[in-house]
Amino acid sequence: MTGPLERVLTAFLADPAAPRYGYDLMKAARLPSGTLYPLLARLEHQKLVASAWETPQQDGQRPRKYYQLTAEGIRVARLELAQASARRRRAPARPGHPAPGSLG
Amino acid sequence: MKGERQLLRLGEVLVGWACQRLPPEVREERCREWAAELPAILHDPQVRPAPRRAARMLAYAADTLRGTALAPGSTRRRSPRMFAALDQLFPVAGLVVVALNIWKIVQAPGNMENYLWMLWGLLLVAYLTRKRVSPAGRMTALLGISATLALGAVFLGNAAQAPEDWVNYFFAALLILPLLVGLPLAWWLRSVQARIGGRHAAPSDPWTF
Repeated sequence: MTGPLERVLTAFLADPAAPRYGYDLMKAARLPSGTLYPLLARLEHQKLVASAWETPQQDGQRPRKYYQLTAEGIRVARLELAQASARRRRAPARPGHPAPGSLG
Repeated sequence: MKGERQLLRLGEVLVGWACQRLPPEVREERCREWAAELPAILHDPQVRPAPRRAARMLAYAADTLRGTALAPGSTRRRSPRMFAALDQLFPVAGLVVVALNIWKIVQAPGNMENYLWMLWGLLLVAYLTRKRVSPAGRMTALLGISATLALGAVFLGNAAQAPEDWVNYFFAALLILPLLVGLPLAWWLRSVQARIGGRHAAPSDPWTF
């Protein structure tokens, strides 16, 4: 698992029930848009994340798209993060480098 | 905020460019999504002062360009036939410039201008070749900047030889000034983006799970 993916999943799991906008996730996961959106697209393609458009607001603001982990996404995210944490405990990685044997 | 509409418009233009690289089936939705985030970033109450919000919004829009350039399925807008022909023609023209100036250097080794033209031809060919392999790569950008600077140097050299001819100053300024403004701006936007969260982003393909 890559570092950005780990941070996105951690951000989602902070409140799995809460719908999150792309910009909120950027701030929470500390990822730039060019990294976050491809990740979200991939997670959505794997049906781990679901997205929906908010209802148009009266003040003329354009509706935004929000994302939420699916039930399967919550399960996989918890599992992946637990595994990543266990891997880190077994083999401490250098900062910025994935631990040996990790998916990232 | 003063100039808010113009800023939003600029952000939308950047997002529009990014969307052009996406596959047609997702293009419109992504474009709508990213464009809708721009005013939200520009009005984010957690970020102060206003110029910081503006920088964030522009960094957000600019980074969508990077993201779509990295996407394996990204598609550029189909070039009209004329542009496709130019794509083939430019490297040939670059090689012709190199050959011609090698011949000129042999004839008059003391003329600095010929060396600059040859350097520009070589850099142009290298840039165009590299662009085909890695359109968004760092080396491609470096070669493009170097080629532009070399051409600017050619015009500056001409201006030194013929100070009364304003055309040389004009073309030198046209080539060099955008770089002088654009490069620090790009560096600044990059640092802003890193502060938002790009500092620890993986340098590898972000589409990799």
